Amino acid sequence: MKKRGVGIGCTWYGTGYGNGFPDVSSAFLEIHDDGSATVLTGAIDVGQGSSTVYAQIVAEELGLKPEDITVVTGDTDVAPDSGTTAATRQTYNTGNAVLRAVRQAKGKLQAYAARTFSCTTPEGIELKDGYIGVKGDPSRRMPLGEMVSTARLQGERFISAESFTAQTTPVNMENGQGAPYWPYAFGCQAAEVEVDTETGIVRVLKIVAAHDVGKAINPTQVEGQIAGGVAQGLGYALLEQVELKEGKIQNPALSSYLIPTALDVPEIESIIIEETESSGPYGAKGLGEPAMLPVVAAVINAIDDAVGVRITSLPATPEKILAALAEKEPERR
Amino acid sequence: MTQVIGNGSIREDAWGKVFGESKYPADFNRPDQIYGVVIRSTQAHARIRSINVDKARLPGVITILTAEDMVYNRHGVLFRDQPVLAEERVRMIGDPVAAIGAESLAAAKQAAALVEIDYEPLPAIFDPEEGMKPSALPLHPELFPDTNILYHLPIRRGNMDEGWTQAEVVVEREYSTQMVDHAFLQPEAVLAYIDERGHVVVQVATQYAHYDRGEIAHALGLKNSKVQVKTTTVGGAFGGREDISLQIIAAMMAWKTMRPVKFENTRNESFYSHSKRHPMKMYYKTGAAKDGRLVALEAKIIGDAGAYTSWSPNILRKAAVHATGPYEIPHVKIDSYAVYTNNPYTGAMRGFGAAQPVVAYESQMDLLAKELGISQVEIRMRNLLKVGSTTATGQVLTESVGAEACLKAVLPYLTGKEGRV
Repeated sequence: MKKRGVGIGCTWYGTGYGNGFPDVSSAFLEIHDDGSATVLTGAIDVGQGSSTVYAQIVAEELGLKPEDITVVTGDTDVAPDSGTTAATRQTYNTGNAVLRAVRQAKGKLQAYAARTFSCTTPEGIELKDGYIGVKGDPSRRMPLGEMVSTARLQGERFISAESFTAQTTPVNMENGQGAPYWPYAFGCQAAEVEVDTETGIVRVLKIVAAHDVGKAINPTQVEGQIAGGVAQGLGYALLEQVELKEGKIQNPALSSYLIPTALDVPEIESIIIEETESSGPYGAKGLGEPAMLPVVAAVINAIDDAVGVRITSLPATPEKILAALAEKEPERR
Repeated sequence: MTQVIGNGSIREDAWGKVFGESKYPADFNRPDQIYGVVIRSTQAHARIRSINVDKARLPGVITILTAEDMVYNRHGVLFRDQPVLAEERVRMIGDPVAAIGAESLAAAKQAAALVEIDYEPLPAIFDPEEGMKPSALPLHPELFPDTNILYHLPIRRGNMDEGWTQAEVVVEREYSTQMVDHAFLQPEAVLAYIDERGHVVVQVATQYAHYDRGEIAHALGLKNSKVQVKTTTVGGAFGGREDISLQIIAAMMAWKTMRPVKFENTRNESFYSHSKRHPMKMYYKTGAAKDGRLVALEAKIIGDAGAYTSWSPNILRKAAVHATGPYEIPHVKIDSYAVYTNNPYTGAMRGFGAAQPVVAYESQMDLLAKELGISQVEIRMRNLLKVGSTTATGQVLTESVGAEACLKAVLPYLTGKEGRV
């Protein structure tokens, strides 16, 4: 018989290296004579989309389009160290370094433009739609590139180097007290599953995933992270296991080490929650790791809701579910 | 208001990915390159009596590297306790022991099969709880002379007696999670060469190019400025590209032969070439008051570090800090341990120690709700962290705590037709 059930999972995740370790990111930036820009960081985009986020941050600050920005990463001869792409830290940490770098160069540019436009304050200068000019005075503006190239002739360049360090303190090794991580990301997912009581096979029908990301700098990429996290979490909950026999891996192949395929991934409804993190770039914190966590519990709890068995050992394989059902109803043996 | 932030800008790598033009490390080749193969340990724990490479010196074989060829033969993200190539001991099946470089991959593989390694098997530990016993043989005596417990974090808060007194219901269960692989779609590959400046250049898919540069420079005895790591497109990582895999071996082979060197793992080799997610055993005892408030948690978490340290202390720390789940619990006693064994070494993987306790703390919540006769939603709403909450480590959460908002957001889907998602 096929039985359906619903479960929820709520989780949290402290981002960053943590525990008082200096978590530093750096960025170099140059605004070019034609009003485009290049930013260099050591932060590797491993497919999650960090380079696109950095292009957006620079474009936002300079009033440009993301495609006007070149992001150079991962060549140690040219880019500064920005720490590892891990710990859900590249949007928050390196994003902050990029934001500081672009604001530093932009500040010099605003000061220069203020003099050019006879404006009394640099804050009165805005960069928008490829132009630089005085807020509220449309008669005083020019293309950004024109301003930058004119400035070069007078020996003024708009280049910068900046760093950002996340706040953390080490935990006390006697009682664990301390503030090891910041910020914390939160998530909650609901799963509906169908359990076949004859075969023990679990089919996941739908996942609803709500994640607090502080601010979604790129909502499409947030949805992508959630979808990838759900797929990986489903593998962890239901399929994946490195089988060991006296230290030897018994299934070192994707034919015997099972990961979810497209057919195993259900409909996923993503909900973006934005509880602003004031220390993050535009209020953002990370999502990379948190995305895969809640689904694990949601599925295990949904299996219990469906057939009344509590699986306490991952993965929840058909064999374990059938054994638990047999234990619950001895007549099934 | 913002114009670009908050909009779904097109990914800067979209063109290359969509049109198949992105280049992964296996796609890079150089004229006159030689092909490398790593010979890995078949023993979980053994002393190496001898390595005989005489029969492997076939035509087309250019070089055979062993530990003796390295300037500094160690690497590791925290302790540098991992030999680049095995010295007198192997500690896990898959430890690199030697590397062959040849004119063709076929010649390298043929030669690799002819290297004779004489092992003297040693007693091995496969269960971390066995490894914790005082009688167990210490696997890293140079780091921890009398124990395999490389990390223990106790978290203590409140008063446990008081907590259990306040508890109306108590749920006590054991949970376990399995070892998993990152299974990134692109197995490890690397191209290393010496450029016209005499610098070592390493093209690789990594999570942290600057770390790789430092470890390569250190192992070869070079300055950082003489080593260039160029990151290619990365075909998934998930933590599995944190520790060094083939980079140092390839760089050393290029340095020694002055020829470009290419390594490319098969899927089978990839399984032995990077860390795994820590299997954890978790003993949980959770108490709740009649109104559903959590009052006490006692948890013991044991993580299998496998043969080397990698990130284990940080991962078991993260497990301990997150063991309560996103809930405020006033009385807490948590102990988290990382233990060496002779299993494949474990390290970073998406979730990093905060993934394993999820199944424990969220199962406990459902079980407590059932005992109390309240709903799964109700028990969570009563306990979720909010602004001003204090965590088990005494950290006060001052802002950006979206736990309740997330739960509330999924609720409408729980009460849909037939009460289903």
